Amino acid sequence: MHPSIFFASSSLSFYYFFIHLSIYLPNGISRDSRHKRSASGARRAQYRKKRKFELGRQSASTKLGGKRIHLVRVRGGNYKHRALRLEAGNFSWGSEGVSRKTRILTVAYNASNNELVRTNTLVKGAVIQIDATPFRQWYESHYAKVLGKKKATEAKIEEVENATKSKSQQKKLAAREATAAVDSLLDDQFAAGRLYAIISSRPGQSGRADGYILEGKELEFYIKKIKSKKH
Amino acid sequence: MSEQIEKAFQKQAGIFQNSKVSSKNKRWYKEVGLGFKTPKEAKFGSYIDKKCPFVGEVNIQGRILTGVVNSTKMKRTIIVRRDYLHYVPKYNRYEKRHTNIAAHISPAFDNINVEAGDIVTIGQCRPLTKTVRFNVLKVQKAKTASKSFSKF
Repeated sequence: MHPSIFFASSSLSFYYFFIHLSIYLPNGISRDSRHKRSASGARRAQYRKKRKFELGRQSASTKLGGKRIHLVRVRGGNYKHRALRLEAGNFSWGSEGVSRKTRILTVAYNASNNELVRTNTLVKGAVIQIDATPFRQWYESHYAKVLGKKKATEAKIEEVENATKSKSQQKKLAAREATAAVDSLLDDQFAAGRLYAIISSRPGQSGRADGYILEGKELEFYIKKIKSKKH
Repeated sequence: MSEQIEKAFQKQAGIFQNSKVSSKNKRWYKEVGLGFKTPKEAKFGSYIDKKCPFVGEVNIQGRILTGVVNSTKMKRTIIVRRDYLHYVPKYNRYEKRHTNIAAHISPAFDNINVEAGDIVTIGQCRPLTKTVRFNVLKVQKAKTASKSFSKF
């Protein structure tokens, strides 16, 4: 009984046409390559309509502001979080191995497009300035040292470095002394209260602007670019 | 240093450069498999190329082909010409045909100075650009070096 029913349904399926049509496409953005010229330069004739699986959507152009995220239902029933406005992200200080949720202050540099800097658009690979306070607080509690020495007041230094500590705390701090050094470029940024970071997530896809704090060669590279841009 | 030509900082994606613990320039490379030797320049050089099969994020899968280099005028890519004979049954004879394949050539092969006429082995990878789906794996210079004098 069973096998014969299966046989009948499979022979029917051959006659179904698989229709993936552009009726479902509200905008005209498609990701096909049939509209492009071939490698030889020949213009390809259009022989079918746009298909839904080749669709493209408007870009998110995430700006700075109160969090606004729209959900987009995508192929397979899954959802993409399209961030339209963001103000904070989870940034990690690589060499120290800590991440903190921080406010994003401004976009400083974008390798692809200066327009995105002017309009403060958050995209992957954008160099931004973030609020330094969570990281400073962590550093001071971890190493009992002050960051941004030049600008810190005497009273502050006193408070952080000479706060009363228990014996076990002092032992821990002594052990961490060796790795407590921070690069001078970073130190200056801490003094100003703003760190340079780069976004490494895709805000228009995941709805988050996460990234890492720029350090070392990468930091020097981008600082040079930002400086030369200003002039 | 000299490889930071672009507007964005060029680096290998997976390696963390700012570790406090060790400060030697870390470089990641891989063996492409199938018996191809990864060139010394790839292991110890300083170039960054995300499309290089040894030092970048592409894998060699599918076909491995060989051909003759036709042109090297593009940045980091070459055209490889493969000649073959096509049989025409009516006349019981063959005709010459050729295909041009665009292949990405890694800066690992920069010091070899690839020129038109060299034999090259290319391996299939995922689409890298509109026409490039292959990556150069091995270069074999042509019999006589073109511009220098060979010994008699």
